[in-house]
Amino acid sequence: MGASGNVRIDVGRSILQSADEAAAAIRALLSERRIYALNLLSSPGSGKTTLIEALLSRFDGKGGVAVVEGDIETEIDAERIRRHGVQVRQINTRSTCHIQPSRLLAVLREMDLSATRLLLVENVGNLVCPAEVPLGEDARVVLLSVTEGDEKPLKYPLVFRTSDLLVITKTDLLPHVTFDVDRVRRAARAANPSVEIFEVSAATGDGMSALLDRIEALRAAKSG
Amino acid sequence: MHELGVAGEILDVALSEAARHAAKKVTSIRLRVGVLRGIEPENLSFLFGHLARGTPAEGATLDIVEDPVRVECEACGVSEAASFALECPRCKESGVSVTGGDSLSILSLDVEA
Repeated sequence: MGASGNVRIDVGRSILQSADEAAAAIRALLSERRIYALNLLSSPGSGKTTLIEALLSRFDGKGGVAVVEGDIETEIDAERIRRHGVQVRQINTRSTCHIQPSRLLAVLREMDLSATRLLLVENVGNLVCPAEVPLGEDARVVLLSVTEGDEKPLKYPLVFRTSDLLVITKTDLLPHVTFDVDRVRRAARAANPSVEIFEVSAATGDGMSALLDRIEALRAAKSG
Repeated sequence: MHELGVAGEILDVALSEAARHAAKKVTSIRLRVGVLRGIEPENLSFLFGHLARGTPAEGATLDIVEDPVRVECEACGVSEAASFALECPRCKESGVSVTGGDSLSILSLDVEA
């Protein structure tokens, strides 16, 4: 028997380490196959699925795009995307409020990604937990619809800090709501000075081509 | 309820470190938690206590060291803040850069050997 007593053990380890390891495995898989991946984050109903549909219509060769849908329950989004003739998988997270990288890694290993150049991952609608968990993506896109209010970057700073692109959606509704676009831009820039900000309306098409062109340019820079 | 996943990760790390050091019991766990992480300490402790029942970490206390955000102003330099800030707390100028506040790590464990 050894001597008993109190001992302090230095750990110095991220609580998210196991998630970080799975994210690194996803990054390696994507890099090896030269697939450009976007992780789409927002509140429920901000337009993530609609943005995916717009991206699908921008891409002529549908074989080049794969989609992974994350929701607590149902296959509704996957069925909606499947109608576009692309490869899609649904992850139901049940009690978890975000897609876990280990789940995404398992799904990607089952998919045929031989022709894939662009991977779109729609996270669970939630501005809190998905922000904490990297999925090995090349870029993180946060969507904010004008009906949600312009204080969101102040209330949920982490998601705005960690996103590369901010897409302000439903701008056709601006005349009907109180939403200060400049306030959002200022707060988002303070959270992340290099964030790229787009204003779009899927209803009128305003701003959409600039966003889709930018995403296509980012994709082409990685996967050709 | 996102503290549940965090509490589970803390418990996993604490139990594996305790086993590696052949410790009988974990008495406290020191954490660094960023103010931007949206972690409610009381909720985290409650959930951890629930998960740790029947393990060597049962009854362990969570000792949380807060990681503030750092607001960098061209004129005033770096200030710390307990929440996300859009302006320098000293000169009230905007156009600051805000970093830090996003730690989520286990610093150390106190155990009974």
